[in-house]
Amino acid sequence: MEKLIEILNEIDDSIDYSSEKRLIDDQLLDSFGVITLVAELEDAFDISIEAAEMVPANFNSAEAIWNMVQRLQENE
Amino acid sequence: MAYHTLLYGFAFLPLCLVLYQLTPQKHRWKVLLAFSWLFFYMISRKLLIYLIGASIITHYTGVRLELLRTEEEREKESAAGKKKKEIRLRYQKKGRQILALGILLLLGVLVYLKYYNFFVRNISNVLDLSVLPFTLPEKKLLLPVGISFYSLEAVGYMADVYWGKIRAEESLGKTALFLGFFPQIMEGPICRFTDTSDTLYAGKSLEWDNLSEGYIRIFWGLFKKLIIADRLAVLVNQIFDNYMEYSGAVVAAGAVAYTVQLYMEFSGCMDIVVGSGRVFGIRLPENFRQPFCARSASEFWRRWHISLGVWFKTYIFYPVSVSGLVKKWNQFGRKHAGKYLTRLVTSALALFPVWLCNGLWHGARWSYIFYGMYYFTLILAGMAVEPVRDRFLGVLHIHPDSFGWRNVQRIKTWIIIFTGELFFRADGLRAGLHMFRSIFDGFDIRKFWDGTLLGLGLGRADFAAVIVGCIVVAVIGSMNENGIITRIRKARASETAKWCVMYGLLFAVLFFAAYGDGYQAVDLIYAGF
Repeated sequence: MEKLIEILNEIDDSIDYSSEKRLIDDQLLDSFGVITLVAELEDAFDISIEAAEMVPANFNSAEAIWNMVQRLQENE
Repeated sequence: MAYHTLLYGFAFLPLCLVLYQLTPQKHRWKVLLAFSWLFFYMISRKLLIYLIGASIITHYTGVRLELLRTEEEREKESAAGKKKKEIRLRYQKKGRQILALGILLLLGVLVYLKYYNFFVRNISNVLDLSVLPFTLPEKKLLLPVGISFYSLEAVGYMADVYWGKIRAEESLGKTALFLGFFPQIMEGPICRFTDTSDTLYAGKSLEWDNLSEGYIRIFWGLFKKLIIADRLAVLVNQIFDNYMEYSGAVVAAGAVAYTVQLYMEFSGCMDIVVGSGRVFGIRLPENFRQPFCARSASEFWRRWHISLGVWFKTYIFYPVSVSGLVKKWNQFGRKHAGKYLTRLVTSALALFPVWLCNGLWHGARWSYIFYGMYYFTLILAGMAVEPVRDRFLGVLHIHPDSFGWRNVQRIKTWIIIFTGELFFRADGLRAGLHMFRSIFDGFDIRKFWDGTLLGLGLGRADFAAVIVGCIVVAVIGSMNENGIITRIRKARASETAKWCVMYGLLFAVLFFAAYGDGYQAVDLIYAGF
C-alpha cells in the first residue's frame, strides 16, 4: 500500500489519498492521470491491467486501486 | 416529426403517455417500444429495418457472450490453479471473436452508409491524378435517423457484456427499446445500458412530479431552440452561405453566433429529450454541463456532448491506452525517454484515434476530420506546455485558481471553441480556411455596434430577444454551476412556483419564438449526424 501511495503522490501530491473516495467521480484524477497510473502500477506490481478493469469503481480511492492490484496479482 | 414540433409535444407524447398509463405495469415497456418504432418509421420509413437489424445483432451477440461466460464459470469451478488461467484465456479468445463479429456487422453498416461515397470520391480523386482512367461510381445511400447514435450504444452494450460489466438482457424487445427509445433516437444522449435500464423497463406509473418537471424541462428546451437558436440561424446562414462577401468582425460574429446557436439548439434538444424521459419516470444522462465555464479545451469536452466524450473515453481511449503497442512504448519510454516524454507520447497514442473518430463521427467531410485534429493538437499542446505554464505562474506569483487567471483561461477557451466551430460549420475545409483568414482582413470592432450586423437578416427586436434569452440561459447556467438549482429542487419548490415557471416558459415560447414570416423552420442540427 505504501508503494501505491508513493505512486499516487507522484501523479498529484495535493490529494489526501487516505480519505478521498471519489477520485474519478469528482475528476480529481483525469483520464491522463489514470493512464499514467496504470502504466506505473503495471511496472511496480508486475501486473497487466486490461480494458475491462478501466472502470471508476477500480480507481475511485487508494483502497479500491489496492484491491484491484491484489486481485490481478492473484490472477497472474 | 422532430422533438420541437407541435405534433410531438402536443400529440405524439401525450398519446404515448395515456396508452402507457392505461397498460398494465409489466407491459408498459412494450408501449414505449411500439411508439419508438412508430416514431422512427414516421421519420425514416422503411429504414426502420436497419434499427431492427441492429437490435437483433446486438441482442444475440450479448446473449452469446453471456452463455460463454456461464460455460467458462462452470469449467472453472471444477478446475484448479493454472488450469483456471488457461480456461480464462481460451474463453477470452472466443468472446473476443464473437464481439469482433458483432462490432464488424454493426459498424460495417454504419461505415458503408455514411462513408462509402466519401471514400469513393477521394479514391477517384487520387486515381484522377494518376494515369489510371478509372473512377468508382458513387451510390445513392439513405441514412436512417440516429444511426450514428444507436450504433455506438450497441457497440458499448456488447463491449460491456464482453468485459463482464453488465449481464446481457434476456428479452430481445427490451434490448430493442434500449437502442431505439424515441426521445433519444435522433440526437442521443448516447446511453450506456446501466444509465437507463433500471428505469426504462420499470413501467413506473405516471406521477405529477415527473410530469410537471418533465414538461418544464421540455418548455425550457423549446425556449432555447425556438427563441434563440432559430433566430441566430438566420444570421449564421447569411454569413456562412455567402462567406465570400464578408470579412473581419462580421465573420468573427458569425463564428460566435454559430457556437451560441449550436449550443442552444443541441442543449435545448437535450432538455426536451431528458424531459420526455422524465415524464415517464425514466432518467436519461445529461449531455451538457455549462460548457462555456470550461478553462481548457479538454475540460470543454467534459462538459459538451458529454455522452459522446464518455463513450470515446470508455471504448477507445482506455482500451488503446492499455493495448500492447502503448504498453511496449511505456516500457521503452521509461528506460530511454524520461517520464515527461513517455507520458506525452502515451497520451498522444491514445488521443489520436479518439479525435480522428470524433471528427469522422460527425460526418464524411474533411472539415470534420480537421475539426477532430484541431482538438487533438490543442489538447496535446495543452499537456505539453503544462510544466512551463506552472513555472511561469510560480515566477509571477499567480495562483492557478485566482479569479483573474481563471478568466484568462476561460477567454482563451472561448477563442478555441469559436474557431473550432467556424471550421465545423463552414461549407468545407477550403471555405473554413478562407473565413478564418478573412477575420484578420480589416478587423474593425466597431462593426459589432455600428449597425452592420442589422443588415444580416435580423432586426433590433430579434437581437433583443436573442440577448435577453442568452442572459436568462446564462443566469440559469450559473445557478446550475453553483448548485443553486439542486438546492431549490431539494427544498421542493411549491406547486405555485412550478406552474409559474411552466406558464412563463410556455408563453415566452408562444410569443417570442422565431416563426411566421421571415423565418424558416430549422431542422435539428445533430439529427443530421
